[in-house]
Amino acid sequence: MKRDELTKGVFKYNPIFYLVLGLCPLLAVSTRVDNALGMSVGVFFVLVSSNVIISLFRHWIPSQVRIPCFIVVIASFVTIVELFMHGYAPELHGRLGIYLPLIVVNCIILGRAEAFASKKPVFNSFLDAIGMSIGFTLGIVGIALCREVLSTGKIAIFGYTLVPTFTQSPSVMMILPPGAFLTIGIIMALINYRSIRKEGR
Amino acid sequence: MGEEVKRILGIAIPLIIVCIISGVALTASYDLTKGRIAAVEQEKITESLAIIFPGASFTETNEYYSATMGGEEIGYAFISEGKGYSSTIKTMVGLYPNGTISRIYVISQSETPGLGTMIAEPDFTNQFNGKRIEDVRLRQDGGVIDAITGATISSRAITDTVRERAEVVMNETR
Repeated sequence: MKRDELTKGVFKYNPIFYLVLGLCPLLAVSTRVDNALGMSVGVFFVLVSSNVIISLFRHWIPSQVRIPCFIVVIASFVTIVELFMHGYAPELHGRLGIYLPLIVVNCIILGRAEAFASKKPVFNSFLDAIGMSIGFTLGIVGIALCREVLSTGKIAIFGYTLVPTFTQSPSVMMILPPGAFLTIGIIMALINYRSIRKEGR
Repeated sequence: MGEEVKRILGIAIPLIIVCIISGVALTASYDLTKGRIAAVEQEKITESLAIIFPGASFTETNEYYSATMGGEEIGYAFISEGKGYSSTIKTMVGLYPNGTISRIYVISQSETPGLGTMIAEPDFTNQFNGKRIEDVRLRQDGGVIDAITGATISSRAITDTVRERAEVVMNETR
């Protein structure tokens, strides 16, 4: 039972491919694998903190003003993450730049606050947040892998080269927004194809 | 009437409390990180100065840093700041007294990841080494700097702000 709360975000209700939430940062940050990893760390921290806090106070927040309350909580955590990252991980802060504040509008976080944390106990919300963050990480890093390979002809994570340059004429389009849409579309189509075939049997 | 006021307060007070708590948390984190962030920013400037003129010592004036090595002035370093495609690009520039650029180093920028961000990479910035100020323009603007494919706006922004600031500093030092 508890295990379900954790794993559902990873596979069954993957925020990117199943819920199709949080596409704005996904399109923008999935150009490089290391940017994608940095963004995932930020989303992980904000999602876990906001889910736990919102679940803790779920009985005190009147339903008429729940959305403003959620936004205040989420925006505060994002600002705190940004301040601390600026002070203690300036390199990462420089790379993530304008995308960090964008976590506020990441629909996954508000979506989980509204759909899950505001109704369920703290521990379940905590597990849900971890599962959803892992699902988001898998999705964004997977897409970033495809885009980085195709657009630069190599993969380098934080300066370490994983896949050496194999082509001198990579496709610039893959790094532009259309490349992100194409990658997401193709992966989503494959997943749907697989689940349709499974149901058919 | 009394019922209505009670109902409204019942909604408003929790929201007010949430806002107060978040305000306190934000103030506390700002205070905690303020010193660190200032130190990090200062560190970046010190670091970039050392990259521009390795081993030199610097004295700061209003407009620029004067680099000296063994008591002799070898050049000037200054920060050029300009609007790029999606952010302010901050660059440390080294200038020799004869009016050529020694090198440039991008301190901070948030351009499009993978495209505009390539202005910070050596492939692009090394093009500035040893160039005369008046030649620091994009090739399509009559200069010698090759723009990054797909990031002409970022390339032009950094090139033009470097040249403009270099001209100002050059006039200052004469």
